[in-house]
Amino acid sequence: MAPTVSLFDDEFLKKLEYLSILSKRLFAGQLKAERRAMRRGTGLEFADYRQYVAGDDFRHLDWKAYLRLNKLILRLFEEEEDLPIYMFVDASQSMSYGNPTKFDYGRRVAAALCYIGLSNLDRVNVVAYANKVKGELQPQRGKGRIFRVFKFLEEMTTGGETNARESFKTYCTETRRRGLCVVISDFFDTSGFQSGLDILRHFKHDIFILHVASHEEVDPALKGELVLVDSENNVSREVTVTPSLLASYKAEYHRFCTDIESYCSKYQLGYVRTVTDFPFEELVLKVFRQGRFLK
Amino acid sequence: MRFLALTGIQAALLALITAGAIVGLYFLKLRHRRLVIASSMLWGRVLDERQAQSLWEKLRRLISILAAVVIGLLIALAVARPEIHWLTGGGERTLLVLDTSPSMLARTSDGSTRWERAVAAALRTVNASAPSSEFRVADTAGRIDAAPTTDRREIREAIERMKPVSGTPSFPEKDTETAHVRFITDGVVSLALPRGTVRESVFEEADNVAITAFEIRSTATSALAYEAYLEIHNYGSRDRETHLAISGAGGQHIERTLNLKAGGEFGGSFDLSKFEGGGIRATIQAGGDALSLDDTAFAYLPIDRTAKTLLVTNGSPYLEALLKLDPLVDLTIIKPGQYQPDPSFDAYIFDGFAPMSAPPRPALFVGEVPNTNWLPQSKGTLAKPRFATWAEDHPVMRYVSLHDVALERAVQIENMEAQVLAETSDHAPLILASPEQQRPRWVLMAFSLKNTDFPLHSGFPLFVDNALGWMSREALALRRQPGVISVPLAQAEVKRLNGDRLESYARGNLTMFEAAEPGLYIATHEETRQYVAVNLASPQYSNLNKTVSLKDAPAAVTAGWLQQELWFYMLAGAALLLVVEWLTYHRGITV
Repeated sequence: MAPTVSLFDDEFLKKLEYLSILSKRLFAGQLKAERRAMRRGTGLEFADYRQYVAGDDFRHLDWKAYLRLNKLILRLFEEEEDLPIYMFVDASQSMSYGNPTKFDYGRRVAAALCYIGLSNLDRVNVVAYANKVKGELQPQRGKGRIFRVFKFLEEMTTGGETNARESFKTYCTETRRRGLCVVISDFFDTSGFQSGLDILRHFKHDIFILHVASHEEVDPALKGELVLVDSENNVSREVTVTPSLLASYKAEYHRFCTDIESYCSKYQLGYVRTVTDFPFEELVLKVFRQGRFLK
Repeated sequence: MRFLALTGIQAALLALITAGAIVGLYFLKLRHRRLVIASSMLWGRVLDERQAQSLWEKLRRLISILAAVVIGLLIALAVARPEIHWLTGGGERTLLVLDTSPSMLARTSDGSTRWERAVAAALRTVNASAPSSEFRVADTAGRIDAAPTTDRREIREAIERMKPVSGTPSFPEKDTETAHVRFITDGVVSLALPRGTVRESVFEEADNVAITAFEIRSTATSALAYEAYLEIHNYGSRDRETHLAISGAGGQHIERTLNLKAGGEFGGSFDLSKFEGGGIRATIQAGGDALSLDDTAFAYLPIDRTAKTLLVTNGSPYLEALLKLDPLVDLTIIKPGQYQPDPSFDAYIFDGFAPMSAPPRPALFVGEVPNTNWLPQSKGTLAKPRFATWAEDHPVMRYVSLHDVALERAVQIENMEAQVLAETSDHAPLILASPEQQRPRWVLMAFSLKNTDFPLHSGFPLFVDNALGWMSREALALRRQPGVISVPLAQAEVKRLNGDRLESYARGNLTMFEAAEPGLYIATHEETRQYVAVNLASPQYSNLNKTVSLKDAPAAVTAGWLQQELWFYMLAGAALLLVVEWLTYHRGITV
């Protein structure tokens, strides 16, 4: 993989700094940050009043209310915490297809999203998976950690079959805080794309899906007598590619995408589909914002 | 079904090998190109669904291999030239004969000739026949009898080479392999046809006024007096006013208008005493004449001149008196001892003498001449021989009667090749002449004038004059009909009267040339010249309405459905299948 950092010029990184990842739900954070949390705390934004009880921090007493009402009333403020972001990057062999490869394209998107998350003091986890979790970057926080993220992404390699269910199950059964899961994949999962996403839903994560496809998959320019070899399992099939067969394939691919989109729509999951020859900056700056994934 | 190029077993073997090779090659064909794709998950679904649903998917491979085998078999069997009788027709041999008699040149009502109609009919027959049908094309003149062939180009060329000529017509013999015989004719000439011959008529009634005879002949009164004999026939169905013109080389001419009734004729002699020697031409003009070939006739009028004659004798009063009285003879008399060969003389007369070598000019030998190596040898003496027969049609014996001619004695001649002009009842020759082609000519009398009363007979001066004429004077023209003409001169050069040279070729002692039209031709070899008058002059050909095939209709030609041999359609089918296979292969319809 080409050095990821070099692909982000200063101007682009500045633009990314103005963006932040949106989550449809509120999650409990660990550290103070810029993201509104479920609990009341020591933030700057006023949230509510309540009766003072012993042990409360009297620095939050509303002395003006006490003078008027002769009651000790405590001012409550919203707690601002960080957002756990889990960046699942499909590193199966099928992701190495296309030009540029889906894997490279996915890594660049993941890097950009990680940078946005780190800029907003979110806790960013990066997970590479195929038929199992192939690698995991421990939670990172703060913009200064972006190079670790880049390094991790750079060292990721493709290989193996896709099995999202096993991978997500393994990852989520460990004690994890709920957060925003971004799944970057081509979803060529022989066990079905639903099973993996079902696991994430089961653990109450907010899910955003980036479906990466290559142009060769969407509109293959195949013709004649071929032996098609599956890059993941080396299964081969003899096929005579005819216009009608190509049309059937395209219809099948369209049905496949529609199924994923329907699933996401049904469970209110964020979904964006892209092809690898779609400009990367445009995807991040426009499409994600239009899809209300970034603000 | 049969195969023209191979036997049935060979064709079956070829088909088997071809089919086997194609099937083998089909399974040995290049492997499919391997292409790694991200995932075969979606392709698998599509293929499984299609294979489950489509019968075509299951049959596609089988159909592809079948198509390949069919293409291969079509090409292989095309090589064997198959023939299916009901599809391509015949395949048998047809003898196609065209009547090439001169009457076929008669013009018809549409402006074409009977011959052009016959050629068109022949070509129509050939074109409509089965592609594998063999044709042997022949004419009735015996000039063209092409070898049997299926090659349409050769057949057409043979037909186009034919042309009507005179001659003795004959129908070609039918060989055992000939299944059909077709004869295209106007029926004017009646020929014996093989059984089963289909006769196709190109006859159409036509008017014709024709010169049926034209010749120059000497009168009985003088060897150098000539007259022209002419016959004209009107073979049409209407009376015709016919203009006759006879013109000579010196500008003399005779003109006459004749009213010929339908079917009528004119015959008469014309005095040519005022004509200069040379070519004589007779022409007739009559309206609505269908055949021009018989409207003109030619003849040759010999040129008058005295013959410079040398008489070598020890004394012959009869001969000397006779020759001195002849105004056409410029006589010189010498003794045998004075004889020296001298080519300035036109003729020699040797009386009781013969030189040891042949004289340079024609010679008449009279009496008992000594044996030489160039004249027939004498082998004894005949006592009181009698003339039994003589050749009245020979120019030397014309008008000469030998009745009651008495002979006391004669030399018995051993004849080898000479012409016998008169002989005894025992076939002992008494008067001989050199062979017709031999030059210089000679005439030999096997008896001395002293031993006979022949000089006292009226035939004697005629005989001497005829002999001198035959040997040294210009001969009348040979009479021939248009076509291939033979002249009794070896390696002669043949020219027209206007000097144009004709192509000629030697055959033995003859010279052959082809004269398509009436005319006067001159054959020359060294100093010998022979005129040939070529005239149709034939009542047989000129009578255009006398036909034996009046009721014959154009015969239908039986042919199969197809106009080409089956191999042509097989190759076309193979090409078509190849195109379809190529298109379907590249569209992935077939594999």
